[in-house]
Amino acid sequence: MRDDRDDEESSAALRDDDELLAALREALRAREAVPNWFVDTGKNAYAWHNIDAELAQLTFDSYSDQRMLAVTRSETASIRTLTFTSAHMSMELEATEDSLLGQILPPRTGTLEIHTKGTIATTVVDEIGCFAVNPKPEGSFRLRCRTADGADVLTAWITL
Amino acid sequence: MRDDPSVVALVVRATAGDQLAWDEIVERYAPLVYAICTRYRLSSHDIEDVGQTVWLLLVEHLGKLREPAALPGWLATTTARECLRVVAAARRLELPRVGRDDSLRFVDDKAIDEEILMAERNASLRAGFAELPAPCQRLLSLLISDPPSSYASIHDALGIPVGSIGPQRGRCLDRLRRSKAFLALGEGETAGKVLGGKAGA
Repeated sequence: MRDDRDDEESSAALRDDDELLAALREALRAREAVPNWFVDTGKNAYAWHNIDAELAQLTFDSYSDQRMLAVTRSETASIRTLTFTSAHMSMELEATEDSLLGQILPPRTGTLEIHTKGTIATTVVDEIGCFAVNPKPEGSFRLRCRTADGADVLTAWITL
Repeated sequence: MRDDPSVVALVVRATAGDQLAWDEIVERYAPLVYAICTRYRLSSHDIEDVGQTVWLLLVEHLGKLREPAALPGWLATTTARECLRVVAAARRLELPRVGRDDSLRFVDDKAIDEEILMAERNASLRAGFAELPAPCQRLLSLLISDPPSSYASIHDALGIPVGSIGPQRGRCLDRLRRSKAFLALGEGETAGKVLGGKAGA
């Protein structure tokens, strides 16, 4: 077994009644400092457990690409482009001031779900894989795309 | 739920679909995630965003946690990374949320490791406290209230003779030390260190 001085010190400190009481006070305060909405957000996340969709990761974000930002900031600062990639689909997104346009690749028809906190909206993906979300989602959201050929892909959460 | 305070058991149960086990994980570690967010001085909007991202990543990651005891370290590292992403994004947009370049450095690995150790200790103490009989919980709550309650006011509130408060305090604290959660504390701290990787340097 490892001899760990820190463990011994903290255990020794808690053998003292006053120290233990002070530690308990700190522990309960640390919990009280956390707002209930923060805890609820965490509990609600479990709704996503075992969702049977393939996850698409963010592989490009124009805001994160500094070189591109340096070149284009003056002209196109209000347009943000993102790419999500999974094994069976990639999703190109373009966010302007008021709308969100996208295309899935390879192109095919399907249904797009826009999941925000507590709401789900649906829109159509046309035969060339394009879709539009108007107005663009407020706050955090994620997109789930189901196509006629059986692909079911869910993006990570996005905030525009 | 409280008869098994082990993180490992909670992770296993949550992976198998037990919402109560998941809730317990969130209750236990939300203070850790929250404390790290406040270290990065995020706005409450950004804290909500980071919190949501971290828990969602955990939901997706549950079955893949190679070592469930590594959960606190995984949460701390993931939270710190998400906070950095938010801070970096804010800076690129030149929002006045974060001003200076050295603003990132005050949250180093050591600070994160300290948060992990503190979170483990606090979670064990809270779980141990929850195991105590109600009279002990009431007495200890009064003793740690701010400002501290006098023995006279404790007597008024709980009807305990003033002369018995000291001995009862001692007995309740002993029970806390003998609680399952408290006894597991040593293991928890060691696990936190192994995970953090850099602690104790």
